[in-house]
Amino acid sequence: MNGVVIAEFFHDDPLAHGEVLPKLVAQVLESVPWGVSIDQVAIAMGPGPFTGLRVGIAFGEAFALARNILWIGVSSLAAMASVVADDEFVVAIDARRREFFCEHYLHGNLHTPARTLQREDFEQIQIPKYLEPPTVLALATLSLTLRSISEPIYIRKPDAHPAPKGVKFRPWTQIDLVDVYALERRVYLEDPWSMEQIKEEFAGTARQYLVAEFEAKVIGYAGILLAGEVTDILTLTVAPEFRRRGIAREFLKRMVDWSRNKKVVAIMLEMRVDNFEAQPLYVANGFRKISYRKDYYGPGVDAVVMRKELGS
Amino acid sequence: MTSQPLVLGIETSCDETAVGIVRGRTLLANIIASSVEEHARFGGVVPEIASRAHVEAMPSVLKLALDTARVRLQDLDAIGVTAGPGLIGALLVGTSAAHGLALALEKPLYGVNHLFSHLAVDALDESYELRPAIGLLVSGGHSSILLVEDMASGVKVLGETIDDAAGEAFDKIARLLNLDFPGGPAIDALAREGDRAAIDFPRGLTDDGYNFSFSGLKTAVSRYVKATPLAHRADIAASFQEAVVDVLLSKAIRACTDNAMETLILAGGVAANSRLRAEAKRRCLEARIELRTPPIHLCTDNGAMVAAMTSLAVSAGVPPSTIGFSTLSTVRLDQPTWS
Repeated sequence: MNGVVIAEFFHDDPLAHGEVLPKLVAQVLESVPWGVSIDQVAIAMGPGPFTGLRVGIAFGEAFALARNILWIGVSSLAAMASVVADDEFVVAIDARRREFFCEHYLHGNLHTPARTLQREDFEQIQIPKYLEPPTVLALATLSLTLRSISEPIYIRKPDAHPAPKGVKFRPWTQIDLVDVYALERRVYLEDPWSMEQIKEEFAGTARQYLVAEFEAKVIGYAGILLAGEVTDILTLTVAPEFRRRGIAREFLKRMVDWSRNKKVVAIMLEMRVDNFEAQPLYVANGFRKISYRKDYYGPGVDAVVMRKELGS
Repeated sequence: MTSQPLVLGIETSCDETAVGIVRGRTLLANIIASSVEEHARFGGVVPEIASRAHVEAMPSVLKLALDTARVRLQDLDAIGVTAGPGLIGALLVGTSAAHGLALALEKPLYGVNHLFSHLAVDALDESYELRPAIGLLVSGGHSSILLVEDMASGVKVLGETIDDAAGEAFDKIARLLNLDFPGGPAIDALAREGDRAAIDFPRGLTDDGYNFSFSGLKTAVSRYVKATPLAHRADIAASFQEAVVDVLLSKAIRACTDNAMETLILAGGVAANSRLRAEAKRRCLEARIELRTPPIHLCTDNGAMVAAMTSLAVSAGVPPSTIGFSTLSTVRLDQPTWS
């Protein structure tokens, strides 16, 4: 109240938010002096795991509705940054799965908005890094100055979506090539494969190409090449509107199975360094970054080489 | 405590975000937002999608329920919320919102058993004098026969399914027949065009007390579909439905006679099935048993049933739940409210 902390309680048990939050708020309410009213609720909107965020939002919103007061959604990273005095720094939240969610601040301002970095890349950052969770005081203070965020910031898009009913995976045939080409041009705006390249792939040997089909339409395709002791993933493409449903994961699983059958030692692939959407899938499936290829996709666009050992 | 408590109930155990308001045993509002269409393309409820939809829908469903009932939050006597069983992520949205309301308003909060609520919704009929009864609870998650002495203090479980719930069996057979999700209404509709005596599917566990088993029936239907690809789908649907209805009602009526009960309450989502309702009516008449079936819109998940259960608990003087009670995905059936 007026910059003075009246009550603050803290409990560190991420698994039990639903049970702990109401108890903490009950304690806080009891310690609020008589005659003091709560004028506003500040809710941390993440980034963070979605179950915890939802507990906070559902609770805070209902509380505000019942008291007929405002609620303000605050970015957790902004709250963390608000208590750092350095000229240049990074605030980050460990997103698990070898990833960090970071924001870069310079001269007191947000310089690079929230983005996901792989652990190896995060560890390369040389400026001061802050990983302390936001304090309740920082959240409450910021809520007095900031414009409200109304949507929760999830660390990653929900990945619980199963494949839509009726998606079929099968080897490609001649008549799929037109659909594949159309999807290729839609997804890879800058440098799509030409129809000639696709036909060459179709005619090529030592390859396996699969398509995913939904309602008689090709919604994704993937190809892998046997190259001596390793296999090389040539492409893995899913139509944007069908992403995050496990289709890429299913393609990858089938390509790994195919590779094991060929008794190779490892699976390799190259992709754009800045393809942050696809990299987590490979990392989660045991691929490691082993090198970079400068200007692989044209001037200034480097490739990262990833490899998964198949072992014995 | 007042005998006509004004109660708001919140239900988010599956894919419906629902808020109901009752005064005593009178229904004032029952607002439901469903994410079922979002799930239909996946052929089943996706927990993650359900939880996100609950957060988005909750404030407007709450406001609409209050407007419809023409009451203000501060006038409430108690708040009830489904504490389980259900999808944990989905339940948590409801219990968190309910805690937010209860703490802000300083009102008693009741964590309520979802299954009891299905039976308690039958009490929303003031002309009916509450009396001991047998409850046949059939839904996507449960198929149980219950001895209901007094709703607020507990029920005795006489029998339960030992494998699939009846609603689950409907969903699985619907998938087998290439019907839409949810399977219950789809089979109900198709069965009307079929002959329910066409195929004599097995009735499981006819001897074993009041327990049910639907997995044998499911396998029999699946084998039949494979072996008889040209069979009339409507006949399969009708014959399958008849087998389920027959087993459910035979055991429920036997439970009534064995326990000298004159009333049968048919409740839960599957109680919306038209064949089950019609056959229950016929058999109860024959056995001189009074049949109670809540209106169809109160059989599927809703907030009014949570408010109804809470209202009965308040009237009976049951103490409220402790702040921060835990949500459980599974729970014993004989516990009506959380301590």
